[in-house]
Amino acid sequence: MLCLTSPVETSAHRWRPGIKFALLCAATFVLLAIDSLVFQVAAFLGCLLLFALPGRTFFLAGMRALKPLWPFVVILIVWHGITQDMADGLAIVLRLMTAVGLATLVTMTTRLSDMMDFVRWALQPLARFGLQTRLVELGIALVIRFTPALAAQGRQLAQSWRARAHQKPRWQLILPLTVAAIDDAEQVAQALRARGGLMPHNSGVPTPARTD
Amino acid sequence: MERSLALSALFAARIAALFLIPSFTLAFGVPVTAQTLGVMLCGTVLGAKRGTLAVLLFLVLVAIGLPFLAGGRGGLGVFAGPTVGFLVGWPVAAFVTGLIVERWRGANLAVVATVASIIGGIIVLYAFGIVGMSVILERTLLEAAGLVTAFIPGDIIKAVLAGLLTAALFKARPASVLSRASSDG
Amino acid sequence: MLSVVSIVPPTFNPAPAPVSADAGTWFAFDKVSLSLDGKSVLHEVSVRSSARRIGMVGRNGSGKSTFARLFAGLIAPTTGSVEVRGVDVAKDRRAALSTVGILFQNPDHQIIFPTVEEELAFGLLQQGVSKADAAEQVAQLLAQFGKSHWAPEAAHSLSQGQKKLVCLMAVLAMKPKAIVLDEPLSGLDIPTQLQLSRYLDDADAMLVHIAHDPDHIRDYDEVLWLEEGRLVADGAPAKVLPAFTARMHELGGGDALSDLAG
Repeated sequence: MLCLTSPVETSAHRWRPGIKFALLCAATFVLLAIDSLVFQVAAFLGCLLLFALPGRTFFLAGMRALKPLWPFVVILIVWHGITQDMADGLAIVLRLMTAVGLATLVTMTTRLSDMMDFVRWALQPLARFGLQTRLVELGIALVIRFTPALAAQGRQLAQSWRARAHQKPRWQLILPLTVAAIDDAEQVAQALRARGGLMPHNSGVPTPARTD
Repeated sequence: MERSLALSALFAARIAALFLIPSFTLAFGVPVTAQTLGVMLCGTVLGAKRGTLAVLLFLVLVAIGLPFLAGGRGGLGVFAGPTVGFLVGWPVAAFVTGLIVERWRGANLAVVATVASIIGGIIVLYAFGIVGMSVILERTLLEAAGLVTAFIPGDIIKAVLAGLLTAALFKARPASVLSRASSDG
Repeated sequence: MLSVVSIVPPTFNPAPAPVSADAGTWFAFDKVSLSLDGKSVLHEVSVRSSARRIGMVGRNGSGKSTFARLFAGLIAPTTGSVEVRGVDVAKDRRAALSTVGILFQNPDHQIIFPTVEEELAFGLLQQGVSKADAAEQVAQLLAQFGKSHWAPEAAHSLSQGQKKLVCLMAVLAMKPKAIVLDEPLSGLDIPTQLQLSRYLDDADAMLVHIAHDPDHIRDYDEVLWLEEGRLVADGAPAKVLPAFTARMHELGGGDALSDLAG
């Protein structure tokens, strides 16, 4: 399954996701608390260093994740340039990039299956409020299972369009895709019922395939 | 029960699938807000409860590292960026949109769905998005609002499309437009 | 509410049957190879024919569906060229649209519009026909098949066989010179298969019929056999089909199921 975890192995890949998440929260908190430009520069450089440590591929992948931020960077710099408080502007820009960078690091160093375990654990407290965590797991598994199938169907529909039209397909394909989603859902619901349904006593919950 | 979960999951998969198909563009593809149409449809077709669930599932998957946002983006990084307000606002938008379509009967479905999409998918969503952006970028609300106004005309067109598609779906499969089902399944 | 209707109308007036095939329709695959992601899907397939009814057989994964898409110009060959009636279907898309039609295996992956009349009119509108003319042609086509009452119906609420007929009509509406059909009869019950076959036989175009069941193409003029991306036989059904069936049984005696693709 297409996933944003980096194939480049780092030691962080082995850390428990809960720890990484806690570190991320702590780091973000510190970033928000301290305004000084010097600190922000240091933090950003530290973040870049973390990206660079595992090697070039990892670094480039990380930079790709930061790329979508550039319009905001430009806007902020222009704004602060006009109001003549560049120091502040730079601090904000750097803080933004560091925060996004650190969060991306967590994503890139955590395997999907580990993430799933973490989600399962994190949802446990909510079980007291009646949320059945098994349902969330099952929901996630279903989405992962069906996204490629629906995408394939979408490509097929695009071919059906191109077989009769010269222009590229547009929003009209959403309709048959939606119908397909509804039909597939009906089949899935029946399959679930055939396996005993979603009643609490049922233990036959399929788990998402491990991707590591 | 199984049906609700299945429908929510499949619609979440559908939003993801729409952006894995490279040869298919929405024609107004402004990257950040192109998904809004998929979100609006979750609300207008599935109704408030299941529509929100579908969007939430989609967000969880993005958060755990699947590249389902436009441009193959995803992971925790997108929740730390300036558009986090929009992401948080999506399930709320789906809820409001669904609620309006469910409650406002009697008028033409395309019109209802369009209005619902505007109220939920634009007004409510942009409220969340603007607040989020102003916090992250440390600008005033007005300035943040100024940044996003360029996307509003495109989103209005998407709201109209959502209305048309919902009505077309109703033509194609009346029983499947759950927001208008007479009984809850 | 659409009542269940069979796809054979009580009064079916076939279009005036052409006595001989449109001699101007021919196709040529010239040393066509296609690789996807580094894997060779088709390897140097060369064939040329102007027969009216051409069948194609081969195992799943032998490249038949790829052949169909190359024939319709939906994908371009890695090397070699595909021409239908002199039109390079991959390069000249506009001409290709009025030359070749394609019917996919799964009608749910083919129908785009909510109502039957919209689905049938789509191709015509794309060809530049005015809305009024398109509506008229669609009405005529539906009447020809005795399905005028289908016009406003929801395409997605029809049965599989009915959906396939809608897809076929959508293709015929554009009056193509050649139609490639990717397993059109699969998944249908026998009566529906026979009925749809009759519509296919009456179509006024060259047909390239991809079938997994040799019985469907026993009466055809020519049969092509694709095996692992190569054309291994090209000839009369009486010669090719028995050899194909024998080979299939031979393979069936083995344990090929345990082999994973690729």
